[in-house]
Amino acid sequence: MSKGKLKKFCKKVVGFILQRKSLVQKAKKAKNRLLKREGDDRAESGTQGYESFSYGGVDPYMWEPQELGAVRSHLSDFKKHRAARIDHYVVEVNKLIIRLEKLTAFDRTNTESAKIRAIEKSVVPWVNDQDVPFCPDCGNKFSIRNRRHHCRLCGSIMCKKCMELISLPFANKLTSASKDSLSTHTSPSQSPNSVHGSRRGSISSVSSVSSVLDEKDDDRIRCCTHCKDTLLKREQQIDEKEHTPDIVKLYEKLRLCMEKVDQKAPEYIRMAASLNAGETTYSLEHAGDLRIEVQKVYELIDALSKKILTLGLNQDPPPHPNTLRLQRMIRYSATLFVQEKLLGLMSLPTREQFEELKKKRKQEMERKRILERQAALESQRRLKERQNDLVSRAANGEVVSLRGGPAPLRKAEGWLPLSGGQGQSEDSDPLLQQIHNITSFIRQARAAGRVDEVHTLQENLRQLQDEYDQQQTEKAIELSRRQAEEEDLQREQLQMLREREWEREREQFQAVSLHTRTRSLDFREIRPFQLEPGREPRTHLAYALDLGSSAVQSSAAPETPSPVSALEPVRVWSGPPAFGQDPLPQSTVPQQTSLNPFEDEDPSSPAADGSASPLASEPASGPSACILKEYNPFEEEEEEAVAGNPFTTPDSPAPNPFDEEDEHPYPRPSSPPVPGNPFEEATCTNPFEMDSDSGPEREEAIEEELLLQQIDNIKAYIFDAKQCGRLDEVELLTENLRELKRTLAKQKGTN
Amino acid sequence: MNVVFAVKQYVSKMIEDSGPGMKVLLMDKETTGIVSMVYTQSEILQKEVYLFERIDSQNREIMKHLKAICFLRPTKENVDYLIQELRRPKYSIYFIYFSNVISKSDVKSLAEADEQEVVAEVQEFYGDYIAVNPHLFSLNILGCCQGRNWDPAQLSRTTQGLTALLLSLKKCPMIRYQLSSESAKRLAECVKQVITKEYELFEFRRTEVPPLLLILDRCDDAITPLLNQWTYQAMVHELLGINNNRIDLSRVPGISKDLREVVLSAENDEFYANNMYLNFAEIGSNIKTLMEDFQKKKPKEQQKLESIADMKAFVENYPQFKKMSGTVSKHVTVVGELSRLVSERNLLEVSEVEQELACQNDHSSALQNVKRLLRNPKVTECDAARLVMLYALHYERHSSNSLPGLVMDLRNRGVSEKYRKLVSAVVEYGGKRVRGSDLFSPKDAVAITKQFLKGLKGVENVYTQHQPFLHETLDHLIKGKLKENLYPYLGPSTLRDRPQDIVVFIIGGVTYEEALTAYNLNRTTPGVRIVLGGTAVHNTKSFLEEVLASGLHGRSKESSQVTARSASRR
Repeated sequence: MSKGKLKKFCKKVVGFILQRKSLVQKAKKAKNRLLKREGDDRAESGTQGYESFSYGGVDPYMWEPQELGAVRSHLSDFKKHRAARIDHYVVEVNKLIIRLEKLTAFDRTNTESAKIRAIEKSVVPWVNDQDVPFCPDCGNKFSIRNRRHHCRLCGSIMCKKCMELISLPFANKLTSASKDSLSTHTSPSQSPNSVHGSRRGSISSVSSVSSVLDEKDDDRIRCCTHCKDTLLKREQQIDEKEHTPDIVKLYEKLRLCMEKVDQKAPEYIRMAASLNAGETTYSLEHAGDLRIEVQKVYELIDALSKKILTLGLNQDPPPHPNTLRLQRMIRYSATLFVQEKLLGLMSLPTREQFEELKKKRKQEMERKRILERQAALESQRRLKERQNDLVSRAANGEVVSLRGGPAPLRKAEGWLPLSGGQGQSEDSDPLLQQIHNITSFIRQARAAGRVDEVHTLQENLRQLQDEYDQQQTEKAIELSRRQAEEEDLQREQLQMLREREWEREREQFQAVSLHTRTRSLDFREIRPFQLEPGREPRTHLAYALDLGSSAVQSSAAPETPSPVSALEPVRVWSGPPAFGQDPLPQSTVPQQTSLNPFEDEDPSSPAADGSASPLASEPASGPSACILKEYNPFEEEEEEAVAGNPFTTPDSPAPNPFDEEDEHPYPRPSSPPVPGNPFEEATCTNPFEMDSDSGPEREEAIEEELLLQQIDNIKAYIFDAKQCGRLDEVELLTENLRELKRTLAKQKGTN
Repeated sequence: MNVVFAVKQYVSKMIEDSGPGMKVLLMDKETTGIVSMVYTQSEILQKEVYLFERIDSQNREIMKHLKAICFLRPTKENVDYLIQELRRPKYSIYFIYFSNVISKSDVKSLAEADEQEVVAEVQEFYGDYIAVNPHLFSLNILGCCQGRNWDPAQLSRTTQGLTALLLSLKKCPMIRYQLSSESAKRLAECVKQVITKEYELFEFRRTEVPPLLLILDRCDDAITPLLNQWTYQAMVHELLGINNNRIDLSRVPGISKDLREVVLSAENDEFYANNMYLNFAEIGSNIKTLMEDFQKKKPKEQQKLESIADMKAFVENYPQFKKMSGTVSKHVTVVGELSRLVSERNLLEVSEVEQELACQNDHSSALQNVKRLLRNPKVTECDAARLVMLYALHYERHSSNSLPGLVMDLRNRGVSEKYRKLVSAVVEYGGKRVRGSDLFSPKDAVAITKQFLKGLKGVENVYTQHQPFLHETLDHLIKGKLKENLYPYLGPSTLRDRPQDIVVFIIGGVTYEEALTAYNLNRTTPGVRIVLGGTAVHNTKSFLEEVLASGLHGRSKESSQVTARSASRR
């Protein structure tokens, strides 16, 4: 829309509003009320229906979906009546065609007329001349001048005027068509058989001879108008069956292309969205290829529909207006299609942008993960506290009756937890155990078909889940406060733990854990006091703690299936020695390949991370970085492990922050005091800074690819605008296109 | 209970069932309107329907590469056209759908015509009404009654339309009707008859509370269609006229070519959907917001797209911009024209007096105001006449009724004879003698208190004081208080519970104001769904034509002319 037009609109609207106001002023009574109503005081209830917005009912637009209305089919009735009629019609046609075949089955030109007549009379009995004094069609009296003629197909009589003739080629077409249709049943590819071909040949030679010999009745078959009519209809049907107009062929191609787009476009959009989010699930090249492929199809659609549009325009008798209308409509719908889908085709990031995006995303993921972990840990701790008493009973499978009375099950008739469900379950959280149990109860109840019980259990389950969720969130809030206090204690403890011999202890620990799994969490609560006791119990406790933290992770897993929480238990169970053989690509990170003693700290990682995360989760700014620097190196290393954790970005070419740093094309403004400090890393990829850093550069280096994309898009718009006849828009767009092309040329020049 | 959706589903089903390939939709005059209300052209194009043909158009070309979907009313002419069509089929295959019940003999004659076996489907799909809004339908009949009685042809059409509606919503209702109207009773009986005859069609899953069909007569409330309206949809209809969602703007001064006729459909115009029930002042501010949004999105001409970021933003915004530009220009034009008419015709003042006439009982003030406006040269002939009509209806039996004086004033003003005669015709159409209930003075204590309180509080908005009489009727109905002596049940059984699914049908047409009332009741009353329908959707002009067509005052000759004219207009 041109600016001029727009201005007009503005003027109109402004004018109208002014005018409106002056009018309102004129109507004094109304003034206040109307003006007041211009505000958003819709809720103000009044006598008018539309003002009372107490949403008790439902907006008709929101009425629930309804099924298709009543229908009634008359098809079977219709078919019954039609079948009766069709049978008759088909028999008629077939009879005529069989006779026609007999009449043309011999060589007419080389046979005597008398013999022909004899054959003709044998095909169908002729009506007696005496019986028909007048031509049944025109009513003229037969005489010597107006002679009787017999229809060779039905034997009836008519005058010469009313007589029709069937040429041999026509007869042949009809008879061979019915034969063809028979033969195609056996083998569709088979061409007309040899007998056929030879006969056809003879006919053509004969007709050429006969044309020289002047018109002779004998090479055509006389028949009445009725029979001819029927045969003509039949011929038309045959023609239609064989003939596919050009438009159909083109249209079929067009639809194929559209289907292709419908398949490919969503895939591409998924890829582009993922890439634009900085994910590495798909490769940029592949997406680019797909984009080109889809665009090719669009071009094809455009070309095909254009071809359909111009079909037959140059023909001498111009096509029927309806044909043209059909072509226009197909073109229009193809345009709509291209418009809709092409505009939905988002562009891909350039290679550089993509790197940035990846980095940004990784950073975000890290933060999220830390937060999640922290929340899970904290909530776990809280839960345990509150439900100390539940724990023991939870182990007995009586849990169901424990949670808020409604469970109607008595032990005898109740459902048993799935066998092994408890044993294998690593949920040390009683709530989670209960949830598990109830789930298996539901399954059993369902299998037994006890619907009421399923309902009750489901209600139960829902309550449990609500409770669990609620507690989880509550804990998460408290965590950050308590975290700092616990930290020192933990560190101390961990130092001690590091000195233990892991192999031996682990056996012991496993034995213990089997018994105390659900209880192990309790130990953590009293842990500060238990630091004093002697050596043996302390190791047990330490393992209990291990178990505790691991349990935290595993119980959090169903809630927040983040890669880290899944990873953590592995570390704990396999123990430090196994760490080097860890199948995870983690070992590629140099800091972690060696079995250095710091690795022993692994179990503490959740806590350490948790303590760091409240700060890290803030937009990394100066002060936070300072604080973080005060943390001991262990923690930093833990952070790094997380940062470089390939788990989150398995395909990422540069999972290690250090690698990334090397690749970073621009020198960072503030070089970090500790090289490779992940927190510094965080600051430098801070979205705010990054934008200011890389903004100008990016603009300078407009990628050719992107330019081309944009040019494509603009072209599509121009096409669309032209289609709709908005010339001013076309102008504007063309201007843009020119600009783009110039930029592209410049780009090429500099490169 | 969504009527738009019901019809749309039917049409979608037809298209789906015909499978892939190029298609032509073969319709008659009425079904064309029915389909156009629920599907836009571009929407239907995407389903490979490229041509829309009328069954009665003669110069259709043979196109054997097309499939034909026939959606037709089961009239005699249509069946004949279809028989001709099947004898010499123009398309490869035919899917035939009738919008209503078709007789067995018609099916037989169609079957016998189909010698080439081109018919693949014969069904009844009951989309036999115009779906205006999800809760509003119309039959687009103008002049349904002659005098006080049904025009037989229109009665049968109305019965068909109403039964089709019930079938499409799968409702088999109990029927109540307005006792004071003979036509209401007649229609109720006809509908019942069809339900009885086609009982196997009406066998639906029983609901706890059976649905209810309430049949009313326009005569009971002739006031509502005579008032100027201030909500968007109603106002557009009143001032510009909505005909199957289309608005003719060709008479708007300086209108551009592509805006001569615009479509306002809530189905695919978000702005309209959000604003159709808001009042004019709100529309004003909303359209300003719309403009501002639009300005932001509009690609700037002056500013070159210098960086790739600009370019990207432009490209991403362009589709939205394009879509918006259509909406913006349409609504700005419509609202602009409305506001022009409001000022040109002095409608604020007129409307205020109209509302006073409809809602208050101060005779002398009303008379004074009417007289004052009759002297105002800006007030149009039609507006002047309708003020007098409103006065005549309200103060028909008032002791100091000065109607003759006002009619004289009209004459002196040069108001045409047609309008002057209409004043008495309207009184005869909807006067006290005819009304079964009291429009103006509330009877029961609650209503009196309500009105008293209303008086105390003052009026919220003088232009929208009026509440259609339908509101009270429906309110009573929902609460189970609608009097059985005024609105009896047809047949012995009555409804014990409060009704839930309600279909209201008004013989003589509904108005958009009443549609709004039903809309609000739907929104505010839990568990209740109301679908409103009428022989037509009226504005003042069409309502007056309806009154004329009913031929009251013994002017049968004149009225038949009007009927013919209005019929051709449709």
